[in-house]
Amino acid sequence: MTDLRIAATQATPEIHTDHAAGLLTMRGDSYPENSFELFSPLLEWVDGFLASGDAPLTVNLHLLYLNTSSVKVMMDIFDALEDAHANGREVTVHWHYDQENERVAELAEEFREDCSFPFHIIKQ
Amino acid sequence: MPDQGPSAQSPTKGNHMEVLDLHALQQTYNEQRILLCFNGPLTRSLIEEIGKALRNYLQGENAAASAATDVFGAYIEMTQNIRHYAASKGWDDLEACATVVIARDLEGRYVVSAGNVVDAVDGTALAQQVNGLAALDKDALKTAYKMQLRKPRDEETGSGAGLGLIDMARRASQPLACVLRELPDGRAFFSLRVVI
Repeated sequence: MTDLRIAATQATPEIHTDHAAGLLTMRGDSYPENSFELFSPLLEWVDGFLASGDAPLTVNLHLLYLNTSSVKVMMDIFDALEDAHANGREVTVHWHYDQENERVAELAEEFREDCSFPFHIIKQ
Repeated sequence: MPDQGPSAQSPTKGNHMEVLDLHALQQTYNEQRILLCFNGPLTRSLIEEIGKALRNYLQGENAAASAATDVFGAYIEMTQNIRHYAASKGWDDLEACATVVIARDLEGRYVVSAGNVVDAVDGTALAQQVNGLAALDKDALKTAYKMQLRKPRDEETGSGAGLGLIDMARRASQPLACVLRELPDGRAFFSLRVVI
């Protein structure tokens, strides 16, 4: 399985995957014009990881501002995690945020409302 | 002005090219408490660069992180909606023109406004959408947001503005407001205002 190591740009987050460790990390802002196109390799990676084996997946997020099309992509990722969780897969999300910016916590909280797997919102 | 040749050759034409009254412009900006404005073709990189300037400005003003995020968020959704709309019409980058203004009102609240030319029929639909959202309270907006989020990508409304508009309505401290001004050519100028 090919891992992703995508550097951040002004409008897109850093994305790292580590299939051996079962880790996905995203860090930064996300407001590209066409999020769906941009994030399709990430969606493919998540689907591929969840479709193979039974290793746990941990998602570590340090995301800040998301435009609505990025929110839609994140929802797709969380939906995939939710399906895997329903099938007995161990999945966990840690969303880290700066206590100065409560908007990030509110955003994370709204995603968590629709997820039944462990979803931790961590103040820093 | 790089294009000085023709006016130098044609003094009569040159007379029409009066020196812009920048002082009057400056006074208007000051009176309207305009922090930042842009008028012209909106490209992807311009959205990012102006966004960067906006963020720096807000940081310099020591705006609260949540307010800064809301102003930036409203700016991004508005400008990207305008770009998406132009693309959906098959217009090129030069036709994706917008007028964007970020100002403060008398109470010191940030006001993000943007306007663009739309087909009149789309403008009417947009105005209806905006007025519909303006009537919703925070809980109803959240429900509408989650419903819109769950819609498949290809079922989005023609303008594609649905989710962005709801997002702006949720960030706003006042109901969204818009003005639709009909133009003679079957188009209209649509202006949207978000008070943070």
